[in-house]
Amino acid sequence: MSATKIEAGAAGHGAEPRGKRTEAGEATYLIAIAEALWEEMERDERVFLLGEDIGVYGGAFKVTEGFIERFGPERVMDTPIAEETITGIAIGAAMEGFRPVAEFQYADFMSSGFDMITTALGRYHYRSGVPLPVVLRGPSGGGVRASSFHSFNPEPWFAHSPGLKVICPAFPTDAKGLLKAAIRDDNPVIFLEHKWIYRRIKEVVPTDPDFLVPIGKARVVREGTDLSIVTYGTLVHWALEAAEQLEAGGISTEIVDLRTIQPLDTETVLRSVEKTSRVLVLYESHRFLGVGAEVAAQIAEEAFEHLDAPVMRLAPPNVPIPFSPTLEDAYLPQVPDIVEAAQRLAAW
Amino acid sequence: MATRMDQQRATAERDWRVGLSDDQLRHVLYLLKLCRYFDERMEALYRQGRLPGAIYSGRGQEGTHVGVAYALRPEDSLFPTHRDLSAQLTKGLDLKRVMAQFWGRIDGYTRGRDGNSHIGDWYGARTWTVMSHLPIAYPVACGAALAYQRRGEPRVAMAICGDGATSNGRWHEALNVSAIHRLPVVWVVNNNQYAYSTPNRLEIPTPTIAERAAAYGMPGVRVDAQDVLEVYRVAHEAVERARSGGGPTLIESVSLRWRGHAGHDPAKYVPRALLEEYMENKDPVRRFQDLLLAHEVVDEAAVKAIEERVEREFQEGYEFALASPFPVGEEVTMGLWVEDGYWQREPSREGGTEAP
Repeated sequence: MSATKIEAGAAGHGAEPRGKRTEAGEATYLIAIAEALWEEMERDERVFLLGEDIGVYGGAFKVTEGFIERFGPERVMDTPIAEETITGIAIGAAMEGFRPVAEFQYADFMSSGFDMITTALGRYHYRSGVPLPVVLRGPSGGGVRASSFHSFNPEPWFAHSPGLKVICPAFPTDAKGLLKAAIRDDNPVIFLEHKWIYRRIKEVVPTDPDFLVPIGKARVVREGTDLSIVTYGTLVHWALEAAEQLEAGGISTEIVDLRTIQPLDTETVLRSVEKTSRVLVLYESHRFLGVGAEVAAQIAEEAFEHLDAPVMRLAPPNVPIPFSPTLEDAYLPQVPDIVEAAQRLAAW
Repeated sequence: MATRMDQQRATAERDWRVGLSDDQLRHVLYLLKLCRYFDERMEALYRQGRLPGAIYSGRGQEGTHVGVAYALRPEDSLFPTHRDLSAQLTKGLDLKRVMAQFWGRIDGYTRGRDGNSHIGDWYGARTWTVMSHLPIAYPVACGAALAYQRRGEPRVAMAICGDGATSNGRWHEALNVSAIHRLPVVWVVNNNQYAYSTPNRLEIPTPTIAERAAAYGMPGVRVDAQDVLEVYRVAHEAVERARSGGGPTLIESVSLRWRGHAGHDPAKYVPRALLEEYMENKDPVRRFQDLLLAHEVVDEAAVKAIEERVEREFQEGYEFALASPFPVGEEVTMGLWVEDGYWQREPSREGGTEAP
């Protein structure tokens, strides 16, 4: 089976996700993700979806709503609740030439398939030379009062497991371009969609079916001179809000959105640190051995002579994500926490 | 013109030989003896300290391994465990490269990135590169079988695990999904009666593993692995049923693990009388050899020729392995990502043959 190129929106189907954009052409993060899946399925018949309740129901978050009508139950495959086997099917089908995209209802449940993901999927190519073009995607992250089992950030687990690329986009355009790149990548990719962003953030997203965002490249989303905030996911948006307040107080903040956790774009991070000499590493996975711990270590090793202050970290404590609003807000770094940390860093 | 008696004799012939020609029967004997000899010699080298790493003997279970794998076509895929090297050899692995793998050399199938029977040859013999977390390959076999079904290809995936792995959730997940979609897959359980040291009675509440198939609406067959032809017959039937759209089958093939779980394990938990019973009276290799001698498919000279061939091939494999260079340390990070191209090019052969 070969990849065939199609016109944008050639499907002409009423359920096509692009039809759900605003009149101004803006797509939410969720719609951008749906468009990426749709376009890649149109382009390449080797791509198929599998997961729990993704068919007639359209997925727990409705990302695949309308897909089964267009692509049929073989390419939009409902599975039993069996995360090990969902991953295993994806691996076996990939070995035989397919390009499976498996949806996990919540990224939390990736732990139910952990062995298949980290032992089998991640380590297979290094030991055998057999590529496994598999994408595992699911909603991650907190801030939506979903408590311990529907708010997790598993990115450090998978970034620490050799052989898996890990992507955590913050914007609709990046989500679309990175997911399309992930589906076309010959390596396994863990694609973590932040559920807080799903319907909150929208922008005009490219419609070119070959629009891709390169995996492994960070992006400076706000230029500044006094300090850098290195972050990803929902916290990019909270950092942008904090930066506005800091600007009002005379502090110019640069924000680096990592976009990809593995492979990590250390170069873009270091360039920003060299420019501002102060860096706050802001991340949503647990502070202890979380993503920012590695980022901070690399900065300390590689940019020591450029630093005017110690590398600062702001991240959740090492406890399960709690439910009660007061507890969840205490757990996740809030905008005032980011502002306060940045002010301390600027004053160092 | 054939007489009625001749026809009857021909039918009886077909029955005992389960459709295999003389050449095929002789090949099965060669495989059984190769696997047995390899297993014995590798253990000897291990005990002499001349073989690094680990060994996982499949001795006594050759009836299962050769019987099920011989039922597959080259284009069918096999998802075995570390215990099932004999099945991989039957499927067509090159003994030289197998032995290079055991000695950690660049010509091993994993280029030194894994050792011993954690081996596979996807682009050649169509076998999964074995992992330890059993039965980790069971769900993967579902995916390969799904691919064959989707493309309408007359191919079959076969997965093997031990009795111990049937306690794991994935075993049940995979059987369940395979039955829902009537996938072209054959599930083999090499019941060698012990999960490391734990006997069947502490692993399985039902009298047999095969009867669990009923819970998933698929045929379950229990077969005595001392009879390689019976194993082959059952496996062949299951494979062809899967190939023709008849869905999955569970095969429980019963033997005894003659040696410990791994080379370090003396397996004192196996009752002496049980072990002697199997080694004396239920040896699948000797039994099959006697059968072929009795039916005059081979004579003593032919058996001796097979033994000489096996010994020669082992020796050639051993010399090949020790002459193969080690991978170079500088390439340790290569081959993780597809785009680094490591697996598409010849690796460095500058690693020398002296172990560090």
